[in-house]
Amino acid sequence: MSAWAIGLWSFPVLLALIFLRLPIGLAMLAVGFGGTWMVTGSPLMMLSQLKHLPYGTFASYSFSIIPLFLLMGQFAMLGGMSAALFRAAGAWLGHRRGGMAMAAIGASAGFGAICGSSLATAATMGQIALPELKRAGYSGRLATGTLAAGGTLGILIPPSVVLVLYAILAEQNIARLFVAAFIPGVLAAAGYVICIALYVRIFPQSGGVEPRLPYGARFRALVPVLPVLGIFLLVVGGIYGGIFTPTEAAAVGAACTFVLAWISGGLSLRLTGAALLATAQSTGMIFVIILGAAVFNGFLALTQVPQTVAQWTGAQGFSPWLVLWVVLLIYLAFGMVMDSLSMILLTVPIFYPVLAMLDFGMSAADFGIWFGILVLIVTEVGLITPPVGMNLFIINAMARDVPMSHTFAGALPFVITDLIRLAALVAFPVLTLAAVNWLG
Amino acid sequence: MRLYPLAARLAELLARAVALLGGIVLLGVMGLTTVSVIGRAISWSGPVPGDFELVEIGVGFAVFCALPWCHLNRGHARVDLFQPMLGGRLNRVIDVLADLVMLGAAVLIAWRLWEGMLDKRAYGETTFILQLPLWQAYAACVLGAAAFVLVAAFAIWRSIRALRGNAA
Repeated sequence: MSAWAIGLWSFPVLLALIFLRLPIGLAMLAVGFGGTWMVTGSPLMMLSQLKHLPYGTFASYSFSIIPLFLLMGQFAMLGGMSAALFRAAGAWLGHRRGGMAMAAIGASAGFGAICGSSLATAATMGQIALPELKRAGYSGRLATGTLAAGGTLGILIPPSVVLVLYAILAEQNIARLFVAAFIPGVLAAAGYVICIALYVRIFPQSGGVEPRLPYGARFRALVPVLPVLGIFLLVVGGIYGGIFTPTEAAAVGAACTFVLAWISGGLSLRLTGAALLATAQSTGMIFVIILGAAVFNGFLALTQVPQTVAQWTGAQGFSPWLVLWVVLLIYLAFGMVMDSLSMILLTVPIFYPVLAMLDFGMSAADFGIWFGILVLIVTEVGLITPPVGMNLFIINAMARDVPMSHTFAGALPFVITDLIRLAALVAFPVLTLAAVNWLG
Repeated sequence: MRLYPLAARLAELLARAVALLGGIVLLGVMGLTTVSVIGRAISWSGPVPGDFELVEIGVGFAVFCALPWCHLNRGHARVDLFQPMLGGRLNRVIDVLADLVMLGAAVLIAWRLWEGMLDKRAYGETTFILQLPLWQAYAACVLGAAAFVLVAAFAIWRSIRALRGNAA
């Protein structure tokens, strides 16, 4: 078999292993190892690479940002910030019909600004907001759908672990990506709020109305939220302003949330230990996939499959927009069953070179940013679509009285707003690029 | 059979201790980097020299230490789409096979890391600024990699027991 044929065959084999429930990172590692062995005719090349590849991957400065952001998210969960954010948003929005659900979206967006993970955002906000929504008389569908969708703001609003991985894989500037993600993230939150407003207009009994608060109380509720704003500006502004590297920003952000959690009294020795263990669990999960992807992509490069596919696609004269939509649809389909990090690590090294060769009427630098934000959105949709949407599972597990089918149904309107936003961002790249280009 | 509960306790203890050690080192990286950033902002003190290298080594160690804990808690990302369709028994068989492959990977990683360490020691390679011998960083990571092998071996035992009908 030629190297090219081995490269092509590796995909069905890899997918079969993944669908047989082999851990995704392990499947990539195994196929990459076996494939390289077949192409080179001996295991020696792979064995000699593996002397330094795992250490080099784990102890790499660019990847070191990931455990630090995970640690920051864990401390943010302990810092009582989620409750303060929900109270503040509730003070401003609670008196509208569906207002507490809108407040949950607003609070999730705020939490997303100091936490780079969707699952952590969904879990934290769910704990705070679900009981409150139930007490205020919200239907299980709306409450669980809202919180699952709100959780996706954790990665849509920078900092975002998914964007960090994309930046490394596609060799893009993390700071520019974070800035670019901001407007689409705010649009996402706004879309969700509009979605709730329409939902409670159609189903008025599914949402409640809270008493209106005077403006004095509303502004007072904002005060405890200021540290969140401060940390967000420090981290994202600091990276963008070149004050520190992304890794340093993550470390400083983690230190700030650590201090915040400590001051708020949420940080006993036992909880610190639990935060470290939770960080270890996510770190282990992500780095197994990163290592697997490194081995698999090394193998693919050896077979020249990505380069050949990119050249072939470029030579066919397809409409670039058609190719883009096909890729985005593939992401949406994969997202239904696969987690976002695995999907990014598996696909970006293949799709990015293909699309980067096509002409979308923008510079290569702009394209790298724009495509990253589109990928971010399509992978995030996968978190709230059945059959495998992690946020749906997390929220549903907290709301014992709500059947899974209600959570699925409750998330559907939010998926529709995601798709509308995706179409808008594809049609108008300026929405993504304006902030980056304006800031220079 | 009394051996299994003992092994389960030991595996849990080992994975937890190693993960906590890695976490403490990660906290150290966090503190060191923050101090370095503050130091750079204050003109007369300056950053911690070689902070870049210490971050790499510390995070690398923390990641190796995270692997056994993640594996013990079945924390890996996988696609569970077909799980309900495959049936209980087939799923358990797959669990055993997946754990076997994971042990293979763990052994491979630990063995090659060890060889890599011997290489670095033979060449006397050091980091650029602090001149830290790289083989020592590799050697520290062997701790996490070795614990990963032990935990992966235990995980096979655990999934074989589940296959034979004992509660996991």
